[in-house]
Amino acid sequence: MRLPMLAAALVAAAPVAAQAPTTLIKNATVLTVSRGTLANTDVLLRGGKIAAIGQNLAAPAGATTIDATGKYVMPGIIDPHSHLMSDAINEGSLSVTSMVRIADVLNPTDRGIYRAAAGGVTTINILHGSANTIGGQNATVKLKPGRTVQEMLVPGAPPGIKFALGENVTRKNSSTVIVQGQSPAPRRYPTSRMGQAEVLRDAFTRAKAYRAEWTDYRARTARGEKGLVPPRTDLELEPLVEVLEGRRLVHAHSYRADEMLMLLNLADEFGFKIQTLQHGLEGYKIASEIAKHGAGLSSFADSWSYKIEAYDAIPHNVAILLRKGVNATINSDSDERIRRLNIDAARLVRYGDLTEEEALRIITLNGAIQLGIEQRTGSLDIGKDADLAIWTAHPLSVYARVETTFADGEVTFDRARDLAAREALAAERKALEAKEGSR
Amino acid sequence: MTLSVRLAGTAALGVLATVPVAAQRAAPTTWAITGARLVPVSGPPIASGTLVVREGRIAALGAGVRAPADARTIDGTGLTIYPGLIDAAGTLGQRSATGGGGGGGGGAAVAAPATGTATRPAGLRPETDVLDALVTDGFDGPHGAGITAALTAPTGGLFQGRSAVIALRSDETAKMVVRTPVALHVAFQGVRGAFPGSLLGVFAEFRQQLLDAKRYGAMQAAAAANPRGTARPALDASLEALQPVLAGTMPVAFNASSEREIHRALDLAAEFKLRAMIVGGQEAWKVADRLRTMNVPVIQSLNFPKKPTNVAADADPEPVRVLRTRVESPAGPAKLAAAGVRMAFASGGASWTDHLGNLRATVKAGLAAEAALRAHTLGAAELLGVADRLGSLEVGKVANLTVVRGDLFSDSAKVTHVFVDGTPRTLDTARPAPAGGRGAGAARAASLTGTWTVTVALEGKEYAITLQLTQVESKLTGTMQGALGTAEITQGELTGEGEFRFTAPVTVREGTEEGVFVGVLTGNAVRGGLSIVGHALGRFSGTRPGPAGDAPRGAGRTRPSTMP
Repeated sequence: MRLPMLAAALVAAAPVAAQAPTTLIKNATVLTVSRGTLANTDVLLRGGKIAAIGQNLAAPAGATTIDATGKYVMPGIIDPHSHLMSDAINEGSLSVTSMVRIADVLNPTDRGIYRAAAGGVTTINILHGSANTIGGQNATVKLKPGRTVQEMLVPGAPPGIKFALGENVTRKNSSTVIVQGQSPAPRRYPTSRMGQAEVLRDAFTRAKAYRAEWTDYRARTARGEKGLVPPRTDLELEPLVEVLEGRRLVHAHSYRADEMLMLLNLADEFGFKIQTLQHGLEGYKIASEIAKHGAGLSSFADSWSYKIEAYDAIPHNVAILLRKGVNATINSDSDERIRRLNIDAARLVRYGDLTEEEALRIITLNGAIQLGIEQRTGSLDIGKDADLAIWTAHPLSVYARVETTFADGEVTFDRARDLAAREALAAERKALEAKEGSR
Repeated sequence: MTLSVRLAGTAALGVLATVPVAAQRAAPTTWAITGARLVPVSGPPIASGTLVVREGRIAALGAGVRAPADARTIDGTGLTIYPGLIDAAGTLGQRSATGGGGGGGGGAAVAAPATGTATRPAGLRPETDVLDALVTDGFDGPHGAGITAALTAPTGGLFQGRSAVIALRSDETAKMVVRTPVALHVAFQGVRGAFPGSLLGVFAEFRQQLLDAKRYGAMQAAAAANPRGTARPALDASLEALQPVLAGTMPVAFNASSEREIHRALDLAAEFKLRAMIVGGQEAWKVADRLRTMNVPVIQSLNFPKKPTNVAADADPEPVRVLRTRVESPAGPAKLAAAGVRMAFASGGASWTDHLGNLRATVKAGLAAEAALRAHTLGAAELLGVADRLGSLEVGKVANLTVVRGDLFSDSAKVTHVFVDGTPRTLDTARPAPAGGRGAGAARAASLTGTWTVTVALEGKEYAITLQLTQVESKLTGTMQGALGTAEITQGELTGEGEFRFTAPVTVREGTEEGVFVGVLTGNAVRGGLSIVGHALGRFSGTRPGPAGDAPRGAGRTRPSTMP
């Protein structure tokens, strides 16, 4: 248990090549997810993109060739709900914290990046926590150990924001630590679902007024009025204006059918869309309503009764939603489960009668659609980013494990390399201990 | 014989009028140190010469200089005279907020005025001025380590306030001040019970206040240009204090230690076109290229991480990263120098008896002794804007001297005298200088540094974890391993006497959530609470190895046999 952790640290410290290498994967079973399964097929990765998919592809000069006979290639897994890399998750001091940005607090040296890559994950949606009704701005990230935050942020990914409904926001089940001599934090509004609806309505009413103020200012400036003081730039309301204008995606933590319906109705009232309902364990009860609004839903594979809001959870949730026309996914919300989302997907074959391709899609292409990056990742198609993993068996099998993971054509995990690095790491530990001891 | 004159805002003038008679007693003002080795820093060393101090200034120095007839003479045989060392960042000369030495204290050290123009909570007020917190004591330790002047800055929160360069003299606070204000000090810390309560909010608040300051500046300028036609904008002391920062006339000193913290500081500096400085900079060498490109200097803390003593037999082994950091840190300054990054040294809250050893560690790790000395004297004076007065042995400069038996960079060297503004202090080298960052002779407060075996009780289950903690001043860093996942701790700080808090992503049941640990340290035991959004309050208790009797019975000793 200890050794893989150490190996992870070493590999994470060594930056991957600056230029994405050219790699030819030969003779694999290719699970495109978008166009079925291709047997005995080669995949060429060049310049960070999928350059070719076909049989008997010639290796370009300088290409690394991997014989993947008997192995499977699938798109990199996309986790639509993660808190990996976050030095802070919640700004819970206010009911509305749309001004905070997850991208400000990312830790590019988090070892979880490498561990997730070892599970075939290439892209994650890093969300603010669920402490308040309107949380912070998300970050869509490609997992590349050794790279900087800037190099990991997915270019052109539409910005998003976290909303949260239900128990966590009420804080009924949370307590804050009381330190002797310090006054306890006052209870923060709202403490009920009614209050959460009011917080949303109030925030978007303020956002509309703010937008009107700027619209008026711009109009007067355009008419040539001089000496006008521009309105205050309000970092809380700017992102909400973007939501109103469809330029920022809403990812809303919610469990119960009633609270999800409240949110969809409120969004309709204010004229914006909910991009995804996150968790949504009771989504199956209102699948048609969710489909009608056009929201996606990102759920757990099961998690029945793990908290009070999960008592009506069923493992068929995602399958029912898909059949009703909702773009559904499953997510990890966990630094640990993120490493085995393929097994979570496989449960949906068992419980929901999904086809194998549908099951793979709920951890790949559907997630790309939810994050608005389906043009560049999520399936094995020529021209898309070279985000994929080579598996020793069909990834829906419990016997499957990842051999190599690529993100933008860069190797982000390689099992052989990891095994080889363990010895070097043990030697480094010895050398460091000796050096320190000799002081 | 220290005199505690507290300079408290406008009341200071009244206080200064009542200087006690003792301080007015005529003291010799002409001194000569003869036959000593002189290291001017601004020029080549002089193997044997005499240095004359008169009326607080360096009157003469050189091989051919003779001691004036009216001078008190010190036989400099075997001694080396250096420019007085400058502690380029810290909290010297301030009353301790927490009563203990060493720590910066998470709360605002500069008491917030109850009245006046402040409209924001403490920790969000760039107008806070360190002058309001000066005291004249607590200099025994730094003098013993050869420190004669220091940059002292307020602490607590995000916008911590404005710093000053002070001379470490123990008569009157007003006479201490060499230059003020020097910089606006910013730390990535929230405030208690209000926004920003987390690292996330810190960045939003920083941006919003600077955006507001820009607009405020424009409105004030418009009103000034057209006083008859414009309504007078209300004074906002915080936004007013940010004007020189936006104009680039006052640097912003970011407390940033890890590589990512430094990148975050540089990102903000680039976003708002600020003149930045990095204070702390443990991993600054990893960002050397960007620091040089952006021409951002580093005030490097010499308080390098130390190997924990007394590690429990059943503790997880230290992560290789932690080992690497300990071995690499003293070599950081050499790498910064090689990369051409401007640099000054700060004691960083280390025990004063360790300070010169920490300085020498940078040389043992590859930094040229001349560069190390410069970073602690003239280089520091340049960064702090006092190089016309301090930092080198030159005629006319302030007679701040550090006098050492032997060579400063040899392990056997002893500081024998310091001169502050021309006034000597002979140091009893037989008695070790008291430890602690501030507070007169205050014993160093207990540190959380160490390997802790901790049991967390959460919703009916127990989780065994190991915490590897390192405390530097009031800042807490480290890792968590065990049944709640492996993670780095973040936002760790001491919030009061023995009280601490930090956050860490905890993996429990179905997900990874942010856990806020708040606890109290007693000897070799910690206990406290763990709050996680959506979960009932957890409790934790733990111990580290230490003398028997320190740990409460049963604390942290049980480890469940099955790992969830």
